[in-house]
Amino acid sequence: MIWFAALAILAGVLVSLSRQINGRLALSTSAMESSFWNHFVGLVFITFIALLFGGLFAGEPLASPWWAYLGGTVGVIFIAAGSWLITRIGAAQTALLIIAGQMISGVILDMIMGAPGDLWARALGVGLILAGMWVAQGGKSRA
Amino acid sequence: MSQPSQSKQLGYFAAAFSAGGLLSLMVLFNGTLAAYGSLFFASWVPHLTGTFAALLFLMILRPKRSESARPPFWVYLGGISGGVTVMLTSATLNSALALSGTIALGLAGQMVFSLFADMRGLLGLPQRTPTARDYLALSFIIAGSLILIFFGSGT
Repeated sequence: MIWFAALAILAGVLVSLSRQINGRLALSTSAMESSFWNHFVGLVFITFIALLFGGLFAGEPLASPWWAYLGGTVGVIFIAAGSWLITRIGAAQTALLIIAGQMISGVILDMIMGAPGDLWARALGVGLILAGMWVAQGGKSRA
Repeated sequence: MSQPSQSKQLGYFAAAFSAGGLLSLMVLFNGTLAAYGSLFFASWVPHLTGTFAALLFLMILRPKRSESARPPFWVYLGGISGGVTVMLTSATLNSALALSGTIALGLAGQMVFSLFADMRGLLGLPQRTPTARDYLALSFIIAGSLILIFFGSGT
């Protein structure tokens, strides 16, 4: 259990590390070029790992709805945005605001798709996140 | 922290918040792929389509390159770090941590390492020291996120 917890934390560290490396590449090139290399190198890496372990085409991948294949295109914009932002507002604020956006849009998506969930917990969570964003922004106006 | 002008700052905040929305869509799309195919497939396909999408965007936008000097080779390895992340989370998702534990601990790791990187100016990025207000904002946003992760959904 403790090992899995360590792996989950490490996964978060790697998310941040990856954004920093891509941001550094964006400093030398451009955010979109950095996003290209992120996807291309990642593709080579995953292809290699998948060949090693096998099972890449297990299951019924062709049965999935067509829109599920749009993740890569959205991801390219997401990675480019992260590389662009991290050089401007820093790693911590980039991560924090992306998390805020992910959490709040996640609640909206859940509600649209009718996923079960506690309304009060959702309201409290969204309220705290909005308050945090207000605090972050308020700090800037007085500086 | 070094402060850009307030309107610029608001723009950056809005962009980062919107990027979080894109991330939600990405998780939905890739998660749907994973429901039909393997986890490898759900990561392989977006990297494949993303490579071509990025090439297309580069051809259309033709962004200006900021430096002609060659950057160090490690700056091209961000994609490997992302690939390892997929493998780690696919292991922890199936452990007792499940989805909520994986996301919550991932957020912790991400925030602590981001703060550390900012303070040290790691990897050639600008150094910046977080203020008390930054920590207050962080506490609010992480508290709200943890409530949503553990109590806000049926999973």
